[in-house]
Amino acid sequence: MEGSDSLEQNGSDQPESQRRRQLDRLGREEAFYQFVNNLSDEDYRLMRDNNLLGTPGEVTEAELINRLQQIKDGPEQQNNSPSTESGENPVEQPQSSEDPASGDSLLDWLNTVRRTGNTTRTGHRGNQSWRAVSQTNPNSGDFRFSLEISVNRNLAEQQAAAEGEQESAEGQEVVTNAESQIPMETEVVEEPVVEELAVIVEPEPELEEAVSQEILGEPPSSPAALPTQPSLSPSPRRGLRRARSRSPEQRRTRARTARSRSPLNLDQLDGLPHPRHAHISQEPTSAINAPPVPQMEGSSRTRQHVLSRQSTVDSDVQPPRAASESPPEAQNVGSQEGEAAGGEGGAAGRRPPTIMLDLQVRRVRPGEYRQRDSIASRTRSRSQNSNNTFLYESEHGGFRRTFSRSERAGVRTYVSTIRIPIRRISDAGLGEATSVALQSMIRQIMTGFGELGYLMDSDSDSSDSNRGASAPTDLAEALNNPDASATAASPAADVDEPPVAAGVRARTVETDVGEGLASGPPGSGGRSRSRPPISLEEPSSLPFLRLAHFFLLNDDDEDQPQGLTKEQIDNLSMRNFGESDALKTCSVCITEYAEGNKLRKLPCSHEYHVHCIDRWLSENSTCPICRRAVLVSANRESVV
Amino acid sequence: MQRVSRLKRELQMLSTEPPPGVTCWQKEERIDDLRAQIVGGKETPYEGGIFSLEVKVPERYPFEPPAIRFLTPIYHPNIDSSGRICHDALKLPPKGAWRPSLNISTVLTSIQLLMAEPNPDDPLMADISSEFKYNKQLFVEKARKWTQEHAVQKNVGVMTDSIQNTPDQKAHKREAQPELVEPAKRNLGVGIWQGMRGTEEEEEQ
Repeated sequence: MEGSDSLEQNGSDQPESQRRRQLDRLGREEAFYQFVNNLSDEDYRLMRDNNLLGTPGEVTEAELINRLQQIKDGPEQQNNSPSTESGENPVEQPQSSEDPASGDSLLDWLNTVRRTGNTTRTGHRGNQSWRAVSQTNPNSGDFRFSLEISVNRNLAEQQAAAEGEQESAEGQEVVTNAESQIPMETEVVEEPVVEELAVIVEPEPELEEAVSQEILGEPPSSPAALPTQPSLSPSPRRGLRRARSRSPEQRRTRARTARSRSPLNLDQLDGLPHPRHAHISQEPTSAINAPPVPQMEGSSRTRQHVLSRQSTVDSDVQPPRAASESPPEAQNVGSQEGEAAGGEGGAAGRRPPTIMLDLQVRRVRPGEYRQRDSIASRTRSRSQNSNNTFLYESEHGGFRRTFSRSERAGVRTYVSTIRIPIRRISDAGLGEATSVALQSMIRQIMTGFGELGYLMDSDSDSSDSNRGASAPTDLAEALNNPDASATAASPAADVDEPPVAAGVRARTVETDVGEGLASGPPGSGGRSRSRPPISLEEPSSLPFLRLAHFFLLNDDDEDQPQGLTKEQIDNLSMRNFGESDALKTCSVCITEYAEGNKLRKLPCSHEYHVHCIDRWLSENSTCPICRRAVLVSANRESVV
Repeated sequence: MQRVSRLKRELQMLSTEPPPGVTCWQKEERIDDLRAQIVGGKETPYEGGIFSLEVKVPERYPFEPPAIRFLTPIYHPNIDSSGRICHDALKLPPKGAWRPSLNISTVLTSIQLLMAEPNPDDPLMADISSEFKYNKQLFVEKARKWTQEHAVQKNVGVMTDSIQNTPDQKAHKREAQPELVEPAKRNLGVGIWQGMRGTEEEEEQ
């Protein structure tokens, strides 16, 4: 109490209430340690890996227990047919149609996700239902976010009449966004098109000592069964939507819809559900596939079910390692499944169309980079299998984009991969640098879609060529940032020109990007061009963009490339603090060990609270006290 | 996340056993926005000056380093005109050397050291750095002058005067930084007072 006394005094007359609060806090802290002490290793890992432990003193024990319970129960729930869940747990209605802020809800939710680990959320808008799944691996910092939107054709039709009234917040917006890609459908008409968008953020191996980060954008495949976009149709009740809708695509969409009406097979729906679980449990990557399943359910089943779930799935996921290996696999799997689905899809004519966006943000450790960056090769290999493939690769000033199209079993798969290096900047220049980086990244992504559109267009009719442009344009609008639009505008402009050749176009785009990036690093130098920050709040921005934004922003606070994987951390020795030990203090939390505290001992013999050191090691690989590498393999200079 | 409990402990330690020449206190009630002062070391060009710093504690502290910058203008190869400090302990690995076993007190102390011993090989201000390397005399002169202008403690009662004087001082600056000067001055008085107060209390206990 002495301590608190002096504290209070120093802190200039803290009122009694504050004092009481502090006492409460102390009590909770105590309880926290107690709780952690009593956790089995397994439970501890579960909690830790899902970021459920929170801060000592901030969470009550009851809450912790509750969380543990939840996370434990979670998996089971998921095993149940999702449909049930949806029916039962309509906990949140994320997308209340009128809620102007609905656009933000997804973001908010994402932010929460960061804290809680994995989450699944679904919503329903008009005849569309969406499902967002996010998974976070606290250790590796990888994120995976996927958003699926399915359109219920029947409903869509019905609603077409009622259009004016329902707006879909994010779901629709995303869909709209997706529309730009719809062009693909034109050709595919009755076949589901799968598009996945994956954005991977990874730190690049350091060059010149600068910490540079790379963002891997692999925007490619999201399985979107676009054909049925009738609902999307133009009924833009929202300003945003409206703006977007004016694009020709919509019209086309409708027409198409009529045409394609038939079978969008998202068989995935049926087939996937189960597989999904399996996947998840096996490898994180599978997660990607998972999303589709739920979606389907939602769409096919109820349009109105909104369910929020805390995905326990995460626990199974082993991100770190998986990250390195799985990505490729995942994609392959995803694509394959998608394709497979497509093939089967014919049969499942009834299925609602689904659009899926899959965003992945993954951190790559410097060493792994090369190997990991196998996206291109992945693409290639896939194309080999397919009967009809197209592959385009280009590399320009650090950006590499790969583009491929394949057709198999009646399903076309477009994959566009973009790798963008982004320079990390010290907090000093962060704001601007970030926005620059962001812009270029977003541009890249959008461009990726644009290219997709272009590809498709090139296949079909040239009239569609403008499509590609629409995405960037929207982007610019969405950014609603003068500067951004200026920058973005240029790319957009390029895009707008009917591409003569894919090569040309790609080049143009890249150049633009290059410029964008170029501006980034200088920013770090200390200059900054005044660039208004992109406002996240901008209601009109595509949710998709916001996601990108979200990832980028969040990436800021964790750009430390190397950390240990869960396995590596778990391999370090652990013990319980005993009364007999000499009194010691954990240097991370500056708290003295109490009896029963779980301590982790690093190879250098330094000890810390398990939960303290684990967190540090998830992002770093050296001992906080002596800075010696925790892993020999880490290859970092051991002592400074 | 452990920030709050840890910060409380740190603040307590800072007030009970502050490192020599360093004070740090909470700015109002906010626990994540601290103010600190470093006394210019003896036999350095900063002698006689009191330098105010802003210490922002990130959400993820102590897993991330505190963001510290000088509020008081200082002529130093590793500190730029907006007060940013180039110091490895303020950055995360691999580039930096921050680790959770460091704390605000140690970091402030190391900044104090940096003031005494600039690192011209990792300069933030290239011109000052080369001056430091090749024309130390000039560097020392300038640094002294800056110290006199911006960091020398004026009598608290004279504070108003010194603020009025700022226009003159600005003329000498590489860049006008009116926003820096004033807070720095203001903090000076308050900071000292608070710091002293902290020590007194401690003695009482």
